[in-house]
Amino acid sequence: MDPSSGIQEPFDLIRLSLSERVFVKLRGDRELTGILHAYDGHMNLILSDVEETIMIVEQVEGAPEGQSTVNIAKRKMNMLFVRGDGVILVSPPSRT
Amino acid sequence: MSFFGFEQTNDLEAEKRRFLESGLKGARQEDVAVYTWGEDSYDGLGDALQERGDELNDETFGGTGQIGKDFDFSTTALPEDVRPQIHREEPTRAGIPSQELEPQQQRPGASSRPVHSLESIWDDKSPFSVLPRTNGSHRAAEQRPSASHAFSPFTGQTQDSHAGAGQTTSQPLHLGGVHSQGVRTLEEIEAEMRQAFAAQRNQNISPSQPAQARVSQGRGTPQLQQRYAPQPEAPTPPPRMHPHAQSPRFHQYQQQEQIQLLEQQRQRQIAEIRAQERRQQQQLQLLELQEQLRVEEYERERDRERQRHIRATQQAQQLQQAQQLQQTQYIQQRQPSGRLTPSVAELQQRRYGHQSPANVQAQPDAPFQQSMQYLPRDIQMQQRLLAEMAQAEFLTSMQGSASPALYNTSNEVEEDREQQETLRAEAMRKIMEAERMEEKRRRKLEKIRYMSRYNDLMTQSDKDFITRIQVSQLVTQDPYTDDFYAQVYGAVMRSRMGVSVPDPVLKFGSVGGVGLGVSQVKGGRRPSAMQRMEAQVERIVNNARLREKEKTSLNSLQGALGKTAGRSYKAAPRQLLQVDANGATASPTLSHAAAHSHISKADAKTEGTRADAAAEAAKMGRQALGGTATGPARREPLTQRETLVKLEMLYDLVLELEQQRRDQPPDEEVEATAAWEKHFEETVEEIWDALQVMVPLDTSDPHPFISLITPIKGKRLLPRVTRHFSSEQSLTLLTLLVACFSQLDVVVNSYLLDILTDSQERRDVEMQTQAFLGSVMQSILPIGATASLRLVSGMLGVFLERNEIEVIARTRPGIALLTLFLSRVEVINQSMANATDPSELPAPEDLEQWQLMFEHFFELITPHLPYLFPSVRQAINSGGIPVTEIPDMDTIDQPVWQFLATLSLNSSLEQQQVLVTSLRDRVLDNVASASKAWSISDEETRKTRLSNVNIFLHALGLDSSQIAM
Repeated sequence: MDPSSGIQEPFDLIRLSLSERVFVKLRGDRELTGILHAYDGHMNLILSDVEETIMIVEQVEGAPEGQSTVNIAKRKMNMLFVRGDGVILVSPPSRT
Repeated sequence: MSFFGFEQTNDLEAEKRRFLESGLKGARQEDVAVYTWGEDSYDGLGDALQERGDELNDETFGGTGQIGKDFDFSTTALPEDVRPQIHREEPTRAGIPSQELEPQQQRPGASSRPVHSLESIWDDKSPFSVLPRTNGSHRAAEQRPSASHAFSPFTGQTQDSHAGAGQTTSQPLHLGGVHSQGVRTLEEIEAEMRQAFAAQRNQNISPSQPAQARVSQGRGTPQLQQRYAPQPEAPTPPPRMHPHAQSPRFHQYQQQEQIQLLEQQRQRQIAEIRAQERRQQQQLQLLELQEQLRVEEYERERDRERQRHIRATQQAQQLQQAQQLQQTQYIQQRQPSGRLTPSVAELQQRRYGHQSPANVQAQPDAPFQQSMQYLPRDIQMQQRLLAEMAQAEFLTSMQGSASPALYNTSNEVEEDREQQETLRAEAMRKIMEAERMEEKRRRKLEKIRYMSRYNDLMTQSDKDFITRIQVSQLVTQDPYTDDFYAQVYGAVMRSRMGVSVPDPVLKFGSVGGVGLGVSQVKGGRRPSAMQRMEAQVERIVNNARLREKEKTSLNSLQGALGKTAGRSYKAAPRQLLQVDANGATASPTLSHAAAHSHISKADAKTEGTRADAAAEAAKMGRQALGGTATGPARREPLTQRETLVKLEMLYDLVLELEQQRRDQPPDEEVEATAAWEKHFEETVEEIWDALQVMVPLDTSDPHPFISLITPIKGKRLLPRVTRHFSSEQSLTLLTLLVACFSQLDVVVNSYLLDILTDSQERRDVEMQTQAFLGSVMQSILPIGATASLRLVSGMLGVFLERNEIEVIARTRPGIALLTLFLSRVEVINQSMANATDPSELPAPEDLEQWQLMFEHFFELITPHLPYLFPSVRQAINSGGIPVTEIPDMDTIDQPVWQFLATLSLNSSLEQQQVLVTSLRDRVLDNVASASKAWSISDEETRKTRLSNVNIFLHALGLDSSQIAM
């Protein structure tokens, strides 16, 4: 049985992840992991139990090019509505 | 009205008056008391007059409309009989006949009477009424604008000039020569007093009239303005009368345009008139200045007594004016929204500014300086005047009738002052209050006007058209599904409240309907609105149907005469992506399911032909058994993605199933019911096959079914499908679950729960465990609760055979399942004891089998008894934390205590002893820690801990209190 036969359009892949934990990459150096509850054609998402990771790149003053520090800020939210225009990528979390 | 003409006919009268005046002069000079008005002797009856008959004055003396004729000074004087009549009237009214000779004394009383009659009386009697020419001319000037329409800056201007004359110069200057001063001043006084009353009274009643404020701002003699000021209002309609606001029904746009034109015209006129007025005003100012100079000479020769008196009254008047000025200016400030007010105020201020700023400054003190020698008396006079006015105001406003006795207090100056102060404060308060009310009213009117601007712009058919469009957007093919969540919510709410309301979905045959959401039982307008909408939608739908029919009939001719235009609003945006949606389902929400339904179709293709979904699934199962299809063969377990795809398919099926349940035809339609049942069963069968329960146990590890319930949504799916399964199917499912229990993710990952450190994985396992207990266990609970003894022992056999009991028993799902079995047996045992009917009793061999099975199980579990407690395991894993310090140990241990209780209930005496021996430490630990205050923080924990122990001890027939520490 070919499992990919159930996949017709990209959104079908996202549908598989409903009520599963997903990894979402957002614009603005942000990443989310959370349980996907709903999505729509705009890729608006509703996530629960979310952890957001924000990468803050700081260019050190006077430091040579390419030498910048990345600060990572994290925060957690119980429920989150993600506007679709910020979504770059949605994937199941990597499994070991 | 006739007083303007006095000069021509009144010589005799004037002579007489003059004679009398001169006769009185001496007396007055010597004795102030002669001015009885405002003093003790004055009975105040004059004030009582002010209230009555005012409204008839216009009738008696002619309305303002007739004034115009009076200014024609070339005409002959009024008939003589008018004056006598007034003369006669005066004494009777005043109640003091002799006072005909002392006109000033009657003034207060008379002053409150309407202007026209007063003036006629007064002028008639005044010794200076012989010289009213200029006065008359002023009137003419004043009335011109008022007659035309605008607010009258003339009046303001003349007032200013009067004021300037009366107040800045030592001798009051007036236009008309020597005597005009007397006339004017008296007029001023009288009107001033009238204003004092009327202004306050009016402002209390309708203080918002901008005219009032405007008038009283005119500094010098506002009374003249006041007389005419209301008239300017007439051409400018009040907000209510404004054409736009007046009537909300203007069906033709033309009409509106006309009104706007008129409005513009009117505004232009106003502007013109204003400009004109300004010009005239300047001319008048010049004239007046000249006249003032001229008159100055005259004035010096005037009767000193007279002047003194006049000055006194003027002072009083000025004082009051100053007060009123304050008030009115205040009012003016607070009254910004009057249509004409700002411009008028501006105008007046401008006039003030450039014409006589000195006047304004000089006004309060100039008369005092000029009449220093008379000051004491003047002040007295003034005080009396003020007191009297205050009294009058008080009486008129409070009682509506004059009480003469109150006038006796006129000597008590201080008291009067206080009274006046309070009166003024009161008046101020009233004014402000009324101001606020008026402001509110105005705002409201403005708002109404604003809102009604576009009234009736749309015709009824326009509105209907828009409603049609709106409603057509609401109509859908499947109203229930489109309104799914609201419908389900409403159903839940209704069932909770116990009210049965008909399905809140409007249906129109098979065409479609509108989901109405949660029906609100509110009554009022809503039901009727609903009915209206229903009717409208029905009409629309019917119309659409008719149109559709017409269209189909026209279809044959389509294109014959060119293209016919379709309705534009129905045109959806052009679709850019044409994704083939194979399988058109009725339900929009299931359209997605339709897309997925081809999963099976695709499979079918690979399989070749297929009869139906059930057969296909059966084949699938057979295929899963192995390529050879002979005997069980192992294959790879389902991947995560396969599992998810299958789950989505399953969910689609379940949704379809639930939709079918809602679409169940009524029982009377036998055929439809039969068809529906067939279809329903087919769907259930499809789900059953998709769950792969029948796949042999050893096909894969984990078993496909176990894989399917690994994701949390798989666990949650189970209770939704098991209720449609037959008991046989359910039993099979339970057996499979029991057999493959160790493959469950919640069992495999349960070790994570024995670690105290928090992690995402641990939380996930916790959630999965909760979901398993809540969904999977709940769905098999009914089967377990009705299972026979034989079945239970069989289950336990399978369980022991296929799983490592010590591992399973250390998990919460395992403990739960074992508790289920043991408690079922206990229930059977109890019913056995009570049973009278031997048929209810389990067969002896079943009992025997159970005993064997239980003993086997007991042997297996005994060595692990202490480790069944999660708290113990956690304590071991954490390395060093005593068991009693494990957080929430009572909560997580509770199921284990319950399990032990059921275990001990089923145990023989020896077994119970084994139990007690192995669990003694745990029991003692708990009881000891519960009884020692230091180890447990609060009472609740202590209770829970003791009750946990008691669950077990009670099963043994013991209690924690029996344990001696």
